[in-house]
Amino acid sequence: MDMQQLFTLLLAVPVLASLIIWFAPTQFKLLSTLHVIASMASSALALSAVMKVMNGKIFFAFHDMLFIDALGGVFLSLIGVTGLLVNLYSVKYMQWEVEKGEITTKDAKLFFALSHLFVFTMTFSVLANNIVLMWVAIEATTLSSVFMVALHKGKKSTESGWKYIVICSIGLAFALYATVLLYSAGFAVIKDSHSMMLWSTLMAHAKEINPDILKLIFVFALIGFGTKAGLAPTHTWLPDVHSEGPAPASAMLSGILLKCAILGLIRYYAIVGNSMVGFEYVQTVMLVSGLLTIFIAALFLMRQHDVKRMFAYHSIAHMGVIAFGLGVGGFFGLFAALFHALAHSVTKALAFCVTGNMVQIYGTRDMTKMGGLIKIAPITAILFGISICSLVGVPGFAIFVSEFWMVQESFNTALYIPVILFIIGLIIIFIADFSHFFLATFGESQSKILSREVAWSANLPLIGLAALIIIFGVFSVEGWVTLLNSAVKIIVAA
Amino acid sequence: MIDLLSLLSIAMILTSLIVFGLRNYKAAILTYGLQTALLVSIFLLLSTTHLAEQLCTWAFIALFTKVLFIPFILLRLVKKLGVVSEDEPVGGFFVSPIIAISFSLAIAMSVYPIYMKFSLIHESIPLIASITIFMIGIFGFILRNSVIKQILAYCMFENGIHLSLALMAYNSPEIAELGILTDAIFAVIIMSVLAQRFHHYFGSLDVSKATELKG
Repeated sequence: MDMQQLFTLLLAVPVLASLIIWFAPTQFKLLSTLHVIASMASSALALSAVMKVMNGKIFFAFHDMLFIDALGGVFLSLIGVTGLLVNLYSVKYMQWEVEKGEITTKDAKLFFALSHLFVFTMTFSVLANNIVLMWVAIEATTLSSVFMVALHKGKKSTESGWKYIVICSIGLAFALYATVLLYSAGFAVIKDSHSMMLWSTLMAHAKEINPDILKLIFVFALIGFGTKAGLAPTHTWLPDVHSEGPAPASAMLSGILLKCAILGLIRYYAIVGNSMVGFEYVQTVMLVSGLLTIFIAALFLMRQHDVKRMFAYHSIAHMGVIAFGLGVGGFFGLFAALFHALAHSVTKALAFCVTGNMVQIYGTRDMTKMGGLIKIAPITAILFGISICSLVGVPGFAIFVSEFWMVQESFNTALYIPVILFIIGLIIIFIADFSHFFLATFGESQSKILSREVAWSANLPLIGLAALIIIFGVFSVEGWVTLLNSAVKIIVAA
Repeated sequence: MIDLLSLLSIAMILTSLIVFGLRNYKAAILTYGLQTALLVSIFLLLSTTHLAEQLCTWAFIALFTKVLFIPFILLRLVKKLGVVSEDEPVGGFFVSPIIAISFSLAIAMSVYPIYMKFSLIHESIPLIASITIFMIGIFGFILRNSVIKQILAYCMFENGIHLSLALMAYNSPEIAELGILTDAIFAVIIMSVLAQRFHHYFGSLDVSKATELKG
């Protein structure tokens, strides 16, 4: 298969899957089969594209408007791995929801159809070389996922859906201004309307673009993509949306979508960093943004008893960690930030899917009403433990690796005050999380148990996610390291 | 002597203030339609005065999508919900438009020289208008509580961006403008569906009544 065909299939398969599911008869078994087949096909295509760019090769298609490089490959691998496992889990989750009468089979059909449309928009955002198309795709991720989030009927669901579309649209409007300004500033250098809308060309000519306008562009991009990524202070939509959506939707949003928005920001980070402005400016801005985000999330996290809301604040905190990694900069800082994107993606996907199991068992998201999970559902309890251990940065779990590198690189580059603040933020999160974990896992159950351990078909994808957390926490996965090396070289234009 | 382009741009600012300030939904939606018609006129004018032929196509597309289709959707929404006018906004009916216009103009005046430097069409008043309209839209979200007024605020800041895009990047590939417009139309459709659900569950269009999710 040549690359042109691969690009076409990468985008066409999820769209076709979405349409087929939408027009298929409303029978749960048929819909779930179609959903699983399509998820596997999308994932296989994404991962085959990643394999091709692992060593730093770049492929262009459709008049260079689409491309795939190692940097995009990092994020495409999240869509391929996390996306598949979450989609597999969603089948069982939707079945529970239908059986409980929370949603109808028609709602499940809508969810399955939208989840593929969502995958399409995220893939498009990763593959877009044209900066306007990248913006269009990122905005489209919001539009395609609104009704995945607001799937349930009721006040809370509607409120979360409204906040999601409104706050993200306002934020992304600033990113569009950044895009327009970048194009105009680029066009002033090279009078070619087609190529100056391409990220690859803008990167190549970054040094010639006016540095003053680039500073403003980066601030706009940070407001825009930062809002979508959940960076403070425009993170306010995230706790509501991630806590109210169905567990697989929260897992997709937190595990993949936030990272796609970060990729948008990294593309701007790279251009501004490689321009006459230099990396110091973007690093300082990202350090401030990252630390602010971590502290705001940590403070709110302590007060949460709703397990999904707690994990939602975790998403914010870890986006802050990625921002901190970009702020530390240098080869290792960037390497750690990109590593963290994967580590957090699999961890948070596991965490949110586990909350789906917990709600099935206890019928509530309130951790003060849980307890004794280890006796009631030991596998779910262990999976919950693995996700918590990784989230708080226990050695041997994926997130520890990237956080350790960030701390190490901060000391190497004499960023003493930021790294001390970073560590304090992580300690607050550590204490808050373990107190919540013990509350839910041990002791006696505080409410009536609706179900014992959930079915293996639900737990298997989660075990896959847990295995990835440990594999990336313990081993150095060669292919992944090669991909990250190539991606970092793209950012620093080495 | 003030030229036609500047007059149309100033008229766009005035209409955005009217859309922002009017209590009556139907009147506000129709004024938004008028504002977009002014935007279409600016596109047509620029296409002749600045030889920006691409803007002719932009004008044609905007006419069907934003002058006709979006107001149609919003008018249908208002009719379906049976609502006439909005509740008291943040800061009151009189104060909120003053805050919006004064801050928006101040921001526009301070940043437009930067935009001007790289703009393909060097016209200061339309550039100021584009930023002002964008900011009035942003303030619409902050200061107005009505769901429908917030949708109109979205439509307005989209108009502001559209005007900026025409002035700064009219020569950009067609697909860029089409992509942005497609997103905007779908956003309005989705917001309209959510508005109906909002009205159904909260018995009102006032977002300040949605306080289920806190902390």
